[in-house]
Amino acid sequence: MRGPRPAHAAGPAFPMRLTVPVLLLIVLVAAGSAPAAQTSNATLNASINSAARLSLSSAALTFPDADPDTSPSIQAAQGPITVTAKARTSPNGTVTLTVRATDELRSGLNTIPASNITWVASGAGFTNGTLSATTAQPIATWSGSGERTGAHTFFFRNLWSYATGTYTLTMVYTLSAA
Amino acid sequence: MRRLTPLLAFLFLLPSPALAQKLELAVSLSPAIITFSSGDPDTVPLLTAPPLQLTYRIRGNGNSPWSLTVLAAGDLIAGASRIDISNVTWVATPAPPFQNGTLSKTVPQRIASGTGNVNPDSIGSISFRLANSWTYDLGSYTQTILFTLSAP
Repeated sequence: MRGPRPAHAAGPAFPMRLTVPVLLLIVLVAAGSAPAAQTSNATLNASINSAARLSLSSAALTFPDADPDTSPSIQAAQGPITVTAKARTSPNGTVTLTVRATDELRSGLNTIPASNITWVASGAGFTNGTLSATTAQPIATWSGSGERTGAHTFFFRNLWSYATGTYTLTMVYTLSAA
Repeated sequence: MRRLTPLLAFLFLLPSPALAQKLELAVSLSPAIITFSSGDPDTVPLLTAPPLQLTYRIRGNGNSPWSLTVLAAGDLIAGASRIDISNVTWVATPAPPFQNGTLSKTVPQRIASGTGNVNPDSIGSISFRLANSWTYDLGSYTQTILFTLSAP
């Protein structure tokens, strides 16, 4: 049988019966907080450099002979030439496609100015134009990287003044990005 | 206190995984930099980086499942230009536990999973690939990806 607690037997600042469960709780919580995940970082790097690729549906154009009175303008036998231009450039950089004749139309000693060849274009960014043997003429202009497709149909100005012969010239297409 | 002693002894004798066996997870990468070299999209439609070696270890996991995920911190960025991170895929071996996938910047994507422990270290090989396109702006793109090995 217990009597009243003497005054000098007052307990510590906190009762012992509370201490053990609290310590146990701390131990269990600490043990349960073990890391359940580990991480590691990596860095992705990608270099995107300039590149361009141009393709034409036909590498040759032929204008058949015709009476200038009935056919003052002769369309190329191949019909529309499809142009596919692919280019990478800086954001909003300009992509330009030009064409230039390396010489006038020539048949032996006879010549016909390259400017007698014109084209009509279709497709976003493509423009009509006239061939030149001295200055590259713009065919198309775009902004930014991408792949574009258009077409241009060539015409030959037919005149009675031409000397007979088989005339040829070479056209150089240039795709550039700035 | 005397009344609590048997209870304490009982509690400490309980088979607690957290107390009996400490969970240890480790994951490391080599190299930690993954580089895609530029190429013509017509001839190189997929830019492939050299394989990444991933070393991982799992101890104290009992028969519980574990998973390894990867999450991108964002798109590939070069100044104002971006390449959507979903253009980056990976091929991982051995399978299982590794699996192929596509990077995401919003949802961690599982790259490997299993159950139990992996001890000693195990190694996986991961080849990242970037879908090449003419529409990309010129630039040096970069982004961080985070691998997370986790067990419940």
